[in-house]
Amino acid sequence: MGLQPFETVVAAHHAEIYRYLLRVTWRAGDADDLSQETFLRAYRAWDGLNQDANVRAWLFTIATNLARNHFRSESRRRRAYAGVSETRTDVDPASPEETRRFHETRVLVERVVDGLPLKQRLAFVLRKLHDLEYEAIGRSLQCSPDSARAHVFQALKKIRLGLNGHELPTMESVR
Amino acid sequence: MTTKHPSCRAIERDLVATATGDVESHATDRVQRHLQTCEPCREEFGRYRAVDHVARGLRATPPIDALASSRAGLESRLADLRQRRVAYRIFPSPLGQILIGRSEHGIALVEYLGASTSLRASRLGQADDVEAVEGGPELERLQRDLLDYIAGRRRDLDWSLDWRLASSEFARSVLEATAAIPYGAVSSYAGVARRIGRPSAVRAVAQALRWNPLPIVVPCHRVIGSSGRLTGYAGDKLGLKQQLLGVEGVKLHPGRGDVSVAREAMYALGEGASEYCLPTCGDISTRNLSVVTLFASRADAEARGLTPCVDCRPDLHPLSAA
Repeated sequence: MGLQPFETVVAAHHAEIYRYLLRVTWRAGDADDLSQETFLRAYRAWDGLNQDANVRAWLFTIATNLARNHFRSESRRRRAYAGVSETRTDVDPASPEETRRFHETRVLVERVVDGLPLKQRLAFVLRKLHDLEYEAIGRSLQCSPDSARAHVFQALKKIRLGLNGHELPTMESVR
Repeated sequence: MTTKHPSCRAIERDLVATATGDVESHATDRVQRHLQTCEPCREEFGRYRAVDHVARGLRATPPIDALASSRAGLESRLADLRQRRVAYRIFPSPLGQILIGRSEHGIALVEYLGASTSLRASRLGQADDVEAVEGGPELERLQRDLLDYIAGRRRDLDWSLDWRLASSEFARSVLEATAAIPYGAVSSYAGVARRIGRPSAVRAVAQALRWNPLPIVVPCHRVIGSSGRLTGYAGDKLGLKQQLLGVEGVKLHPGRGDVSVAREAMYALGEGASEYCLPTCGDISTRNLSVVTLFASRADAEARGLTPCVDCRPDLHPLSAA
């Protein structure tokens, strides 16, 4: 077989897929179940996988499909979301002004991201947190790369709107 | 809602993309030119830069305690799956549809499906302790090997085997003894029973071979009745036995529905001997097939390290090849 042994796939990608699913499902139990299921499915399909396939993007596609199935029930989504905000850790009030502002903004951004429609949220996380190509995101979400791009754009717009009236951390590099 | 100038609206997507690092080079210049003339967009650009900055901050990966235990759980489920997994392939052959199944230990199953191409109807599909998955390129190679074998282009299948589908230790010993019968040779059920040290278990040997999970590879087609009749094969597939023996050059008497091996046209090896004989040598033609192995050709016998008998000299008086 020209493909690498499956153990190396687990070693290389398990942590990332787990983190992705944790961010998307908000619950360690769900991230555990879904990440295991992702790799068991991948293992079953491993022999049939095209040799030049992008393994990482392929794993994200499987994980994304599982996450979408998981949230097919809207009530499950709401229940999960209801638990999110409580789990956020607060920033040490003694930290420097700029750090504090960064963390506040971060909490706000996370709140907006968590409240996004599922497809936008997935597209945003895949692009901004995992650096996937739009081609791969489109495959994961069963849409075109252009639609994937549009989902990310919508997500960014909502985040930006969500920060209206909030003083953003300064960025030396902003021209 | 603030209303935006059309030119600002037109450039909004590119502006967001550029500010958040999703750059497409042709857009960057346009955005920069627009920013030089538009103060509100310049401010927007800055805010999107900040959003991107914060979003990238979300990548910071705090240690997760549950990660290690999730990985351990996965490894154990994978190990279990790996144990049970059999990758299979179904393909047409001159012997009908054939299924081959391979586990991580080796080939676990070769099955004649007749005209069916369905996994569900197969022995593999019905086994409950295995997980059947469709196989990839590795099985294509095995398919080629097997088709070459059936066509007579290949004499041995040097596959590693997984014996797990052998139903018992006894069955396994029968299969291993059968696997030792060389290409182009035939032995009898009684002969196999003798070789595994159970000379009276002839019927049990026949039963074990009837359920041989690895036909062709474990050449149960080379095992015949002591009378020389083919008797049976994989249930009701006597025709396939005939075909496989034909491929190996074994001479057969067609007979009326009861095909038998043409003993008088094959070389013979007595039990325990290291020399092979003409079928007419001494009393070998009258000895029971439980103690005689027959060979289709001198080459087949000599491939096993046997030498020609010094009395009947099969090397000087070979049987006609016809």
